[in-house]
This record gives sequence, C-alpha cells and structure tokens, in this order.
Amino acid sequence: MPPVAELQDLLSRTALGDRTAFRRLYDATAPSLLGVALRILNRRDRAEDVLQEAFVNVWHSAGKYVATASQPMTWLTAIVRNKALDTLRGEARHVAYSLDDEAGEAARDIADERPNPLGLLEQAVDSLQIRDCLAVIQGSQRQCLALAYYHGMSHSECAAHLGAPIGSVKVWIRRGLDKLKRCLDGRR
Amino acid sequence: MNYDRPDLLDRLAAEYVFGTLTGGARRRFERLRRAMPAAEEAVRAWEARLMPLAEAVPPVAPQADVWTAIDRRTGGGRAAVASGGGLWTWLRPALGLAFGVLATLGVVRLYPTAFVPVDQIVQERGALPASYVGLLTDKDGVPTVLASSTRHGTRMTVKILRPIEVSPGKVLQMWALPREGAPFPLGTIPSRDKGEFTMSDTSEKLLSNVPRLAVSIEDGPAAAGTTPSPFILTGHCVKLW
Repeated sequence: MPPVAELQDLLSRTALGDRTAFRRLYDATAPSLLGVALRILNRRDRAEDVLQEAFVNVWHSAGKYVATASQPMTWLTAIVRNKALDTLRGEARHVAYSLDDEAGEAARDIADERPNPLGLLEQAVDSLQIRDCLAVIQGSQRQCLALAYYHGMSHSECAAHLGAPIGSVKVWIRRGLDKLKRCLDGRR
Repeated sequence: MNYDRPDLLDRLAAEYVFGTLTGGARRRFERLRRAMPAAEEAVRAWEARLMPLAEAVPPVAPQADVWTAIDRRTGGGRAAVASGGGLWTWLRPALGLAFGVLATLGVVRLYPTAFVPVDQIVQERGALPASYVGLLTDKDGVPTVLASSTRHGTRMTVKILRPIEVSPGKVLQMWALPREGAPFPLGTIPSRDKGEFTMSDTSEKLLSNVPRLAVSIEDGPAAAGTTPSPFILTGHCVKLW
C-alpha cells in the first residue's frame, strides 16, 4: 500500500478530475477493497459490482474526502463495507421472499468457501498486540465478533450460526466492542 | 431515543461501523450522522479504530473489466477516442503553460515530429503521462532542447531540436534552477539528435520546485555543489498533468 500522503494526493487530484490519478488510486487500493467486499458477499461478481459502484462514487465524491477526518484507506474501506453490507442485506431479503422458488434454491446452494473469519480476527489481534487485553473475549463471543465484522452477519444470523440466543449475541457484540475500544485506544 | 447521550451515540456508531446495526435502525443512524456532527465524528473514530481488522483481509486482484466499467461510467471513454483534430482541443488544458510557450514559438509547426511519441501515448493510453517537461531556448529565443521525464521516473529524455556547437572535450551540462537556492546539475546531454540520462532521484523529488532548466558548457560532468559556467540555453520547466 502506498504511503498515506500519496493516497491523499491521488484523492485530491481525483477530486479535480485527474483521470491518471484516479486510475493510480484504483490500482493501489482496489485489491484490498475487493478482498473486504468478497469476505462479506462471498460472490466475486457481487463483490466486483460493489467495487465498481464504490469507485464511481469516489470519482464523483472525492471532493468530500477530508484528510483531517480520515486516512484515505479508512475512508475508502468504509464506502466499500457499507455498500457490501447493503448489497448483502438486499439479497438476504430477496432470498427470504423467494425461498420456495428456484432463485432461492440456487442462492442457498452456493457453498460458503470463505475461510473461518476467526483466523483473520486472530491475525489482527496479534498484529495489534492486543491479545492479552482481549483475553476475556473468548470462544463463541470471539467467533461472533469475527462473523459479524468479516462476513457482515447480523445479530440474528450470528445467533442462528452459533446456535445461541439472540439476546446473548447482542450482549457479546456490545461487550466485545467495548473491550476492543479499550484495548485499541489503550495502545495509543 | 435520546441521541444527546454521548455513550449511546458512541454505541450506535460502533454497531453501525461494525455492521451489526441493521434495517431501519441503520437507515435512521445514516440520517443522524448527516445531520449531527457528533455522530459523524463518532463514526469516523470507529472507522479508524476498526481499520486494522480490515487490513487483515488478504487482497484480491479485480478482473480487468471492473476498471473498464468504472472508466466508462465516469466518462473516461471519451478522452480515449479523441484524436487528430480533436486531440489538440483535448490536449490544450492539460498542456497549459507548456503549449502556450510552444505555440508562441511556433515549434509545433517547425518540429512536428517532436510530438509523435506524445500522440502515440495519448492514442494508446487515452491520457498523457504525468511528466515534467522543459523547453530550452538559446539567447535569441530559438527552441533548442526539449527535455521530459515522467513524474515518478528517474530518466530524463532530451531531444535536440537544432545542433548545439560545443568544442571537443567539453560537455553540455543540464541544470535545474530551483525557485530558491543554487542551481544543481541533472546530467549531460548530446549536441545533436536524442539522448537520455539517469537522474539522482525521481523527477518529482528533484523538479517539483524547479521552474526553470538551463544548459552550460563544462569541462566535464558537473558534480553537486559546483557553480555552473554561463548558461547557453534556458527555459521553463512545467508539470504536465
């Protein structure tokens, strides 16, 4: 990933309509962003559609990027995550309405080939050096955080996936986020 | 819901960024963050906080048609088809000062071949590469050397528009004349045709604060820190992007 200053420069040039800068911004960031979208959507075509939507959006709204408020990659990742979550939930609704027809069957037949997201969370925990701090969040609670963040699972989906009451899942997520905040902010 | 409670606002922002705020609650919070700076701030803080989690995800290279679609939807295809007479119209804003200088001096008419490579690049890529370009003229204002280097490259390419007289054993030394400070040597150039040299760093590092280039005749390649002999050629150095 290029340095923050270079991405900021590319974003500000993109805001001025510089197509070369826009292309370089895409080349530098699209693979990371596609990785994030693909984890959530589990389908390459859908993830690439989200990436496309996100960059069309970036071309038109790069002027709204505020360097003092966010780092470029954080800003771009938020755009992609939000679009991917919206797409995922739009599809979830569609599947729920058509469970009995062929589209529903086809959608359910797509195998989930994503590796367990817990591995990603563990990796992040290690690179952030917050393993000790986060030690109280274990087992299903940890699994739940990983599924929600990386696969975009809602409270009820996490509950169904882990066979846990939805009330527990809500508490786990809330507690997990509180703990994450204390651990991450404590590092600064 | 009482959004004035900072702890509640922070919790909503957390679940929004994390993704577990769903449905109507998510839409309401999106409206809230647009209307309430404190909500927007809380979202930004959570996005920054959770960014390292996203960084753990392995990158996946998109297929080439993703960019093609983005390019088309953002109006990029139009530039690529511009050519011939349309090219000049399209180039004008990009070239800015460089073309102003060139057009005034009539160099485009006198030296059409100097622009063939640029034309090819435009045809092939649909865009001019970001470059630093210098046009050096002699004391009578006759264009003599065209120098160019891509913005992040270290190669300086020169085209000698008319042969330069130089005694055997002497070299033609090109200098950068920064906005502030002393001239510094870039490399040596041939007296006719074309040439190129490698600079000590990228154009961006060396030339971003250099409004002018110059050439002097020296006994040998100039070392950094040496004072140049009188300049025989000087000219503007402009950013081509």
